[in-house]
Amino acid sequence: MSDAVHELLVVKDLSTTFTTMGGPLPAVSDVSFTLARNETIGIVGESGSGKTVLSRTIMGLQPRTNVTVTGSVLLNGNEMVGATESFKRALWGTEVAMVFQDPMTSLNPVMRVGKQIDESLRVRLGMSKQDAKTRAIELLELVGIPSPAQRYMAYPGQLSGGMRQRVVIAIALAGSPKLLMADEPTTGLDVTIQAQILNLLDDLKDRLKMSVVLVTHDLGVVATRTSRIVVMYAGRIVEIGSTRDVFSRHRMPYTRALLDSSPKVSNASHTRLVAIPGRPPNLLQLSAGCSFAPRCSFATDKCHKERPELQAADEPGHAFACWNPLPTTMEQQS
Amino acid sequence: MVRYVIRRILMLIGIVFIISVGSFYLIHLLPGNITTIIEGPGASPANQAKLYKLLGLDRPIYEQYFVWLGNVLHGNLGTSFISQESVASTIRAALPIDLEMIFISQVLAFAAAIPMAMRSARKPDGIIDRIFGAGSFTLLSVPPFIVIILLVLFISIKLGIPHTGVSTYVAFTSDWIANLESMALPAVTLAIGSFVVYFRVLRSDLIATLQEEFITMARSKGISQRRIMWRHAFRPSSVALLGAAGVNIGGLLAGGFVVQFLLAIPGLGYTLIAAINQNDYLLVQGIVFVVSVGVVLINFIFDFIINIVDPRISRE
Repeated sequence: MSDAVHELLVVKDLSTTFTTMGGPLPAVSDVSFTLARNETIGIVGESGSGKTVLSRTIMGLQPRTNVTVTGSVLLNGNEMVGATESFKRALWGTEVAMVFQDPMTSLNPVMRVGKQIDESLRVRLGMSKQDAKTRAIELLELVGIPSPAQRYMAYPGQLSGGMRQRVVIAIALAGSPKLLMADEPTTGLDVTIQAQILNLLDDLKDRLKMSVVLVTHDLGVVATRTSRIVVMYAGRIVEIGSTRDVFSRHRMPYTRALLDSSPKVSNASHTRLVAIPGRPPNLLQLSAGCSFAPRCSFATDKCHKERPELQAADEPGHAFACWNPLPTTMEQQS
Repeated sequence: MVRYVIRRILMLIGIVFIISVGSFYLIHLLPGNITTIIEGPGASPANQAKLYKLLGLDRPIYEQYFVWLGNVLHGNLGTSFISQESVASTIRAALPIDLEMIFISQVLAFAAAIPMAMRSARKPDGIIDRIFGAGSFTLLSVPPFIVIILLVLFISIKLGIPHTGVSTYVAFTSDWIANLESMALPAVTLAIGSFVVYFRVLRSDLIATLQEEFITMARSKGISQRRIMWRHAFRPSSVALLGAAGVNIGGLLAGGFVVQFLLAIPGLGYTLIAAINQNDYLLVQGIVFVVSVGVVLINFIFDFIINIVDPRISRE
């Protein structure tokens, strides 16, 4: 219980399984981590590693049918797993809010953006029409939208991608949430806009005293903006630790592969990026062993037969799931 | 938006012009000599020739057209050779009956279709969706003339709501209860056909819309399911519904005669059939013109509503 007091978010043994025609699909399995107040944690992994499902499950926003969630999510002391829709509804927007991945599809195309911000303020916070409008324009200004009073009247289709993502952030901030789930907030945007949006989120986090869960496939995004990182593969945590440890003292070969496959400024021009061979496993046909084994150059017989559990590394808070971890003595390149 | 409306209005004027040419020429397509019909088979050729000249039929056809068009623009559709009554006033008497019948039927159809589609779309393939789906499909497969017979059986005979015919038809303004009683059968009949279409179109669009990311986004704001349905899902799902309604209402205006004829409702459809049987060319021409313009206008209005509902359409 002491965790619930100190930590804003406590996720324990969380699993999300979808019922599909092909059988049960374990999108997230046995995920545990905690998040302190005003902390940013990064969740990284390839497409299909369960990041988005994890962030939605934490929020309790998974589809209402054909899905089973087990384990526990304590959000500011409120149990989200198994909670009724109306209980979660009372927390959505004010305790936890989500910045969605694709600003092209996450805004209602036939509703003025101002009205979409107003809605949270009026329905959830009970503001008057006039107060909500004033506040909505303030929020648009806060997220860096020029001439916010005019943009208030715009339809999403009249705004650029970067602007739309700012609107999405403004909507998420409307209820002053304590926890902001940012699900690949920059995937659909130009590189220059990406940096702007990420810096904006970082800045807002400090100013509004929020905690942030930053979900991304891009390690460059989390490197400077998170205190800790969770690396996911096939729905499981394969490595977790402080950002520094994960970058420079990682033990899991998958983390290494992920780091190697992201471009670095220090690389010479025309350096060929190292791709991870193969593709993520079919979650409907997971083997008994480590899910990464088929793509791992260090894999042994044991890796294919028995799944490694998370084990503590030398550094506090650092853990990894691997039978043949990378050596610790060698200081690895960052 | 303004430019879009202006463009549509110009198009509308063009279409109405084409309709006017078509309606005018309609008479000239018909076989037989109009003077024979007016004067009867025993008329002398000299009298026929006199009448021919009197009606202006000896003048070139384009000249006849412009004379006719000028009259139409002044609201004068001519005087029937058969009844000696003004075509415009005959239409003016019949048209409100059509409009009232269509209006009531559409209110009924929407009032049933919208909440039922929302209920169905909430759980596609759920028990309620299946019941509604099967029910609407059954209604779809029953032709209107069967529906009318069944309705006469249930509403008029079992429930005892009297249904009045042409001779006893009363206007809404003189006795609204009697008027609504006689409207019940035709309006319900038309409503059933419309309802099935609206329900199915809206249901499938709602199901598609509810999969959209912006619905999850709306859900994440912590607003009620009801609000998500009405404020977020309904509007983007109603474009096809409105398109269907536009076509359907136009169709009811032009094709309501089956119901009107079977139930003896003296609307435009009924009048048209009577006019055809009596060779009342000018009345046929007038009704065809008014109905065609009406259909075009209705579709224009619905296009306009669709543009307001979904601002993405006029932007492209």
